[in-house]
Amino acid sequence: MRFNEKELVSLSRQPPERAAELGMRGPKKGEVVKKRLVKLVVNFLFYFRTDEEEPIGALLLEQCRVEREDSQSFSIAFLDEAERKYLFECDSEEQCREWVDSIIKASYEFMRKNLIFYRTEIHRLTGKDPLEQYGISDETRFQVNNSLQLLPRDTSSL
Amino acid sequence: MKLHEKILTHYLSCTSPVDKEGYLYKKKERNATYQRRWFVLKANLLFYQERPADRHLLGVIVLEGCAVRRSESDVQFAFSLVFEGPGLKTYRFAAGDGQTQESWVKALLSASHCYLSLLVRDLGRQYEEAKQQRGVGESCHSSFFKQSTTNFSFPVQRPTAEVREGRSFSASTVLQAPSIPTKAVAKKSPKLWPRRNAHVTPLNGPAPLFSEWPLVGFNPLEDFSTLHDYYGQEVKKAREEWRRSQRAEEEHIDGDLIDLG
Repeated sequence: MRFNEKELVSLSRQPPERAAELGMRGPKKGEVVKKRLVKLVVNFLFYFRTDEEEPIGALLLEQCRVEREDSQSFSIAFLDEAERKYLFECDSEEQCREWVDSIIKASYEFMRKNLIFYRTEIHRLTGKDPLEQYGISDETRFQVNNSLQLLPRDTSSL
Repeated sequence: MKLHEKILTHYLSCTSPVDKEGYLYKKKERNATYQRRWFVLKANLLFYQERPADRHLLGVIVLEGCAVRRSESDVQFAFSLVFEGPGLKTYRFAAGDGQTQESWVKALLSASHCYLSLLVRDLGRQYEEAKQQRGVGESCHSSFFKQSTTNFSFPVQRPTAEVREGRSFSASTVLQAPSIPTKAVAKKSPKLWPRRNAHVTPLNGPAPLFSEWPLVGFNPLEDFSTLHDYYGQEVKKAREEWRRSQRAEEEHIDGDLIDLG
């Protein structure tokens, strides 16, 4: 599948939401933990060999499950394959918690849910649709969907 | 760089809603011909394939760091995605008609993660203000959506606005004076501010004084509403013009029918 590689590499150079050197292990059997520079930019997780300009790879952070594995490491599972996880080792419990929190909040779908929640609530409280002002009330992406999922995901337990 | 494609295709096929899909013509870089492709927009990703039923995806365009432009080119209803930066591409498209073109331009303008992030932040702030003004601990009304003219839970088929040019968010194009739509002008115009909090002003209290509004010394990267002052008003204006011309057209058509006798 073709993709706009140069533009994506350029994106990996933008100011990240979060960046750090972490231990990273891929999901396949027999993989070992390697030191990688991990960067969170929009809803992508880029990972680099230390001191290299171009990322080795990019992971889209949608439809994934982020979990604490132990006090200092977390994992990300994609494709509903719970056993195939990417593992990340942090330097501290706090750093680990912050990464998990940031990755969850980076997802487009998470942000969309928040938006729909705020839109609905503001309309309820004020009688006005806050998106009218921006001329985007009719955009499909901002519509309240059938399942009426109004509450943003609760991350307070993390 | 490896893009883990399976993650993207999985996301595309999962149950979360598609934001827009349809046929568009995509210009091939090499021989400047246009090829008809089926496009699917989801979040900040624009996927394309030959036909809707195809399992095989031809490609994906990640929509961050690009401007959306209506283009004057050899073909009608053309628009492009211009990625800003040295050596970065411009993707060119053409729609089948004006309405499709406008609809896609509008959808792509609001597609980026950056855009959504600012919008959520702005709405989050409005929500806090609205809560404070109503008082904490207010119980939910039984009628979930108040009766109002804007029933936004069901998308209304309104005519799409004519957008001459729009840009997805980038710091350099935050403030654009409405009179110069094709150039990015970094101007801080206080006159653009007063509209912002119009709909959270309490009905039975005085509107907050201009000086109290939290916009003094604002950071353009954080203030989505000012970014949109140009965009939102321009869209509204164009939409009104379109509606008026539609009405005029309808009257004209009625006139013709009567004349047949």
